[in-house]
Amino acid sequence: MSAVVSVPTGSDGRPLFDLPPELAIDTDVARRVIGDFIRSQLAQSGFDRLVLGLSGGIDSALVAYLSAEAIGAERLLCVLMPYRTSASASRRDAESVVAALGCHSEVVDISPMVDAYFGPEAGSRAAAAAATTTEATTEATTEASAVRRGNYMARTRMAVLYDHSVTFGGLVVGTGNKTESLIGYTTLFGDNACAFNPIGDLYKSQVRQLAAAIGVPRPIIEKAPSADLWPDQTDEGEGEFTYPILDRMLYWRIDRRRSPAEIVAMGFEPALVERIDRMVAGSEFKRQVPPIAKLGPRTAGVDYLYPRRRPGSKRP
Amino acid sequence: MPLRIAIAQIAPHLGGLEDNLQRHHELIGQARAGLAQLVVFPELGLTGYQLQDLAAEVAMRLDDPRLAALAAATRDLSVAVSFVEESADHRLFIAAALLEDGEIRHVHRKLFLPTYGLFDERRFFAAGDVLRAVPSRLGLGVGIAICEDFWHLGVPELLALDGAQILLNVASSPGRDLAAGNEVGLGTASSWRILMRTYAQLTTSLVVFCNRVGVEESISFWGGSEVISPSGAVLFSGPLFDEGLFFVDVALEDVRRERISLPLLRDERLELQVREMSRIVAERAGLAPDATSETGAEAGLDLAPAEAAPREIGFARGRAR
Repeated sequence: MSAVVSVPTGSDGRPLFDLPPELAIDTDVARRVIGDFIRSQLAQSGFDRLVLGLSGGIDSALVAYLSAEAIGAERLLCVLMPYRTSASASRRDAESVVAALGCHSEVVDISPMVDAYFGPEAGSRAAAAAATTTEATTEATTEASAVRRGNYMARTRMAVLYDHSVTFGGLVVGTGNKTESLIGYTTLFGDNACAFNPIGDLYKSQVRQLAAAIGVPRPIIEKAPSADLWPDQTDEGEGEFTYPILDRMLYWRIDRRRSPAEIVAMGFEPALVERIDRMVAGSEFKRQVPPIAKLGPRTAGVDYLYPRRRPGSKRP
Repeated sequence: MPLRIAIAQIAPHLGGLEDNLQRHHELIGQARAGLAQLVVFPELGLTGYQLQDLAAEVAMRLDDPRLAALAAATRDLSVAVSFVEESADHRLFIAAALLEDGEIRHVHRKLFLPTYGLFDERRFFAAGDVLRAVPSRLGLGVGIAICEDFWHLGVPELLALDGAQILLNVASSPGRDLAAGNEVGLGTASSWRILMRTYAQLTTSLVVFCNRVGVEESISFWGGSEVISPSGAVLFSGPLFDEGLFFVDVALEDVRRERISLPLLRDERLELQVREMSRIVAERAGLAPDATSETGAEAGLDLAPAEAAPREIGFARGRAR
């Protein structure tokens, strides 16, 4: 049996998103596996509630829907953490998810925390410059500044979420997808910090497919993915790729173990193949636990190997 | 009279030996109440699968009183259970035991320990060396294999040739590959279904597959336990991911009927296999000239190197020639 997966159409009558056929998944099985996964992670650790950072983007919206489906909206807290330059559409879309699910929500404006560190003026200048400048030297300076600020915002949000983990009594559920993890489009100990991640093995195209199947609001599925760190920033604009192409390339390269030459023979741009390979290799450190210098007889992660959910590991 | 099989598609508690023992006792009781004659539990149903360094902590010797207590619950019953067995010389095996009439009738130690991809079994366990079919109180020969054992053609074949008419595979198979084109939305399930139908047909035996469910760390076990008739027909196909005790009635006469109408086992050429296997073993070890290798191939290999001149490894090839 070969399943034909139909992609819903958007307001303009065109498909809502481009789903490469080899990436199409059985969304019913995915929801079942992920639901069991979420419930097990909670049960095995002695928690029954979840906390997540809801940005207004598709990844965190999908995780909110999956979490609500797995444990009920009344046990989910979505924390909205806008910065003052965040797009108003992000806030609106995040609120539409909260309204649709009926879950707990809280808004924490991270502007004072971020501005207290960098100073408010630097923030405005960097944001404005990153959006408008064309001069190479200025760009280099503001680019560094934008990256620092973006990372700091991601880590501030992480700190806020983990504080809510205590006040709400829930585990922080991760919202990063496989594509961004593989190319390293994440902030270490920032947006990738979590107790567990239900969608970390789904490419962006698969996130879109699952989001459509589970009923994430259409505006969220339709809009261009963005880290929303400065106005009009988009992932695809910044990375000079489109997600369907990138997802396919990663799928064949990594999941199906094709060589760069084989990928190029399939029709992918050689320069892009080389660049993506470099990004994947260069971000290996973001996907792994930091190494510990091996000195003693038994070392965690090296030759002291226990499942994290071993007997006795549950919170009392 | 049909044979009633109870398949315990359970989600064991990782490392929770006492919990799992209790659950086994309960389910054996339910199976007995449901008039089952054979009860099958999944691979490492008494311990959970992703044990890593916990393996030594949940291991049982065959004289363990907890195992004896479980066996004692099997009067007038056949029950297959699986656990970590510690041998007298302190090797740890993934084992499955056939318990009957209060005794441990047979122990199968997993032969093939997958240590690739998401598997890491050889790091923690020793591989078994013995494969035997055993007669049972059910009146037919039973062959037990554990999960990966069935990814090696010789295992179901040897069990059937050794007298098994019912092949039990107890498994902890992690589900993966959700590609939409798969038979049931899960690549692993599609692969296993092909294997079980093929083995049932080729060995003209009943095949019982008992796979666990539940989540451990990153892995979700998919269940989908099955019973396949000796003609390859699906007699029972369990739900994916759901726990349950499932009762399946099978007609033992089907084995006789199938083996008479399709006498594949009768026609099997064991002496041919032994002869050719012996030859291949000797050739691979470099102890005999390889009749089927390319000119210039190293001792023990079939193909000549693509570019480099052949190099001798170990003892000189000339002597073998």
